[in-house]
Amino acid sequence: MLAVHRPSSAVSDGDSVQIPMMIASFQKRFPSLSRDSTAARFHTHEVGPNQCCSAVIQEISAPISTVWSVVRRFDNPQAYKHFLKSCSVIGGDGDNVGSLRQVHVVSGLPAASSTERLDILDDERHVISFSVVGGDHRLSNYRSVTTLHPSPISGTVVVESYVVDVPPGNTKEETCDFVDVIVRCNLQSLAKIAENTAAESKKKMSL
Amino acid sequence: MAEICYEVVTDACPSSVYESTPAHSRRRPRFQTVMHEDWEKNCKRSKQEALATRYSSIPRSSREDFSDQNVDVSSPRYGVSSVCGRRREMEDAVAIHPSFSSPKNSEFPQHYFGVYDGHGCSHVAARCRERLHKLVQEELSSDMEDEEEWKTTMERSFTRMDKEVVSWGDSVVTANCKCDLQTPACDSVGSTAVVSVITPDKIVVANCGDSRAVLCRNGKPVPLSTDHKPDRPDELDRIEGAGGRVIYWDCPRVLGVLAMSRAIGDNYLKPYVSCEPEVTITDRRDDDCLILASDGLWDVVSNETACSVARMCLRGGGRRQDNEDPAISDKACTEASVLLTKLALARNSSDNVSVVVIDLRR
Repeated sequence: MLAVHRPSSAVSDGDSVQIPMMIASFQKRFPSLSRDSTAARFHTHEVGPNQCCSAVIQEISAPISTVWSVVRRFDNPQAYKHFLKSCSVIGGDGDNVGSLRQVHVVSGLPAASSTERLDILDDERHVISFSVVGGDHRLSNYRSVTTLHPSPISGTVVVESYVVDVPPGNTKEETCDFVDVIVRCNLQSLAKIAENTAAESKKKMSL
Repeated sequence: MAEICYEVVTDACPSSVYESTPAHSRRRPRFQTVMHEDWEKNCKRSKQEALATRYSSIPRSSREDFSDQNVDVSSPRYGVSSVCGRRREMEDAVAIHPSFSSPKNSEFPQHYFGVYDGHGCSHVAARCRERLHKLVQEELSSDMEDEEEWKTTMERSFTRMDKEVVSWGDSVVTANCKCDLQTPACDSVGSTAVVSVITPDKIVVANCGDSRAVLCRNGKPVPLSTDHKPDRPDELDRIEGAGGRVIYWDCPRVLGVLAMSRAIGDNYLKPYVSCEPEVTITDRRDDDCLILASDGLWDVVSNETACSVARMCLRGGGRRQDNEDPAISDKACTEASVLLTKLALARNSSDNVSVVVIDLRR
């Protein structure tokens, strides 16, 4: 069940603004992380007049290292992004900033392919970011940032925020509604994979 | 083969086509070109050569893949054509089960036909092909169900099918898609399902999604299903009433994502994308045939055109001769389904195309 309203995300449509609503929401839900400046720094987006941005937060009951090992694979996003059918690295080695990948989307969705550039890959701070530079879809100038944060309650908290052009004929709210569904589905798949992996690791250690 | 094609071309001259499809008079030049070209190729070359020439990468499933029983005298006459088309993956599936009956009462012959158009991957459609007819069989209380009983039977079967594809554990599908290699269930895969059970006196159709069943009666199309598009007024009301929304992205889509409002699977879009089928029950009369097909056909071929093509292939729509060889009728149905598939591809359908044509003449 996917709620259409976004209790765990915020929308901003001003010029060059931080996302105070998102940050405030994040800090309110996870007060022990309020001093963490990573979220504020990386989830600040320059938002143009015909753009929108939003963020999705997902709690995962798995160690941050387990989650990060899946998220950081720029060359294998389809491991947890189940709307992707395949991925090929077409520039760089897939493990360094500047690498390019081409992903193909599964049938039934309003997109066929996407060409994406790796903008940030920070193994210390657990930050990965990519921007969409081409492909057959309607999401122009899409840029996404994903950060992981340790959580004493659930293990890991994932925050993914993005900024994107509003396609002609659609509204900002429609665009965020659509992208949020995709991002939320991806993060829910990520949670299942990481939690399964962590569960299997525990079994092995208990042998 | 050549004789049959030649006969079809002779009997079905272009003017008779136009007479039966007045609504398409404006498209006459294009229609004529397409149909004439198709028929000419059929007559002048072997089928295989024609397919290789025009659609070199199209694998055509063999008839035996769809049916697990031998045809006997009381079996229905039908033809199937199912092609990948321009898309790289085949995600359609077809199921045909002649003399399918409730084990509680097998007094009357009933025949099951289903077309399943998968999206996101092929395994939900594959599971529907393998399981849905068995679920219908289990839900049948007798072979003489009344209208309400048929609706209940179909609704329960579809709900059980939907639950089965959500639970991954007891999969019977062979590992022929990437999802099988992943342990978490894939919530974002689904399929349409248009199913027909044909009894001696009734045609039952249950539909979920945007595949379609069209009855050809006296050369005129009678829709037995209605496409579940998200902007259909009652579907839009249902979706919004459940808290969802329909966003026009490149076409109306549930949450901007899925272009149909009902499907088997697609758990991540529940409850907005429902698996409840719409059921119609139609008394049989002097009918020509029934056409079940995926939207790869219906997006580019109208009901009227499909009926005209099918009727022409069934010997001009006349009553079946008393001594007609069953094999001839089967071939006519197969030719109809193949012609419709080729027509869809010629009209640049960009999807998988699956067509079943069932001869209903008594």
